[in-house]
Amino acid sequence: FKTAVVKAKINNVLKEELSNMFYNPEEIPYVTKKIAEAIKTRVKECAFDRYKLVVQVVIGEQRGEGVKMAARCFWDADTDNFAQAVYMNESLFCVAAAFGCYYY
Amino acid sequence: MLLSRAASIPIAIPLVVVTGAGLRVTMDEFQSGEEAVENTIGGNAYQHNKVNQWTSTVVEHCLNQLTKLAKPFKYIVTCVIMQKNGAGLHTASSCFWDNSVDGSCTVRWENKTMYCIVSIFGLGV
Repeated sequence: FKTAVVKAKINNVLKEELSNMFYNPEEIPYVTKKIAEAIKTRVKECAFDRYKLVVQVVIGEQRGEGVKMAARCFWDADTDNFAQAVYMNESLFCVAAAFGCYYY
Repeated sequence: MLLSRAASIPIAIPLVVVTGAGLRVTMDEFQSGEEAVENTIGGNAYQHNKVNQWTSTVVEHCLNQLTKLAKPFKYIVTCVIMQKNGAGLHTASSCFWDNSVDGSCTVRWENKTMYCIVSIFGLGV
């Protein structure tokens, strides 16, 4: 599971989708889901066979407050890995993480 | 949703979302997550300098308890802690897996000063 490749893809998706977006409470749920699906399809195109994917996207409104996100995983370190990216603009921030687990 | 304004008692409002037909991810995982959060940040108010430590601790405790369950699963645990300031937060996840063996659950916890969302993904081996 190549982290750098996946991270680049995630960055691209975030920039494309969010570059001109303002935080809008009605639209944001759809946008969040759309981004998660888009990242998943892009990573699938990377052709990691036998890998199960989990993509998590968190979008929040930027109001100068503190947010902290952490993740821990219990897996096989030789075969499994993850990639993450953060995107910020004036009205919102977005964190996306993609995890890949090898299926024996 | 019941939200009490009692002085110092943290209110846990667990929201379980168990997705997929992953019936092998059950209430056990959910309870591990919930306990981990309660024990770590149970009665505390949001403190910027401690949040780092709290998120790590919550996730580690959660993972430790999950591994004690000794199920044939690989786990991914993520935790988001956010200060309550009136801003909105949305989380979505999209997964490519086998619905019959894999599943996820999400624990949502809040107190007067912060929100904590813990997502647990279990992938069968």
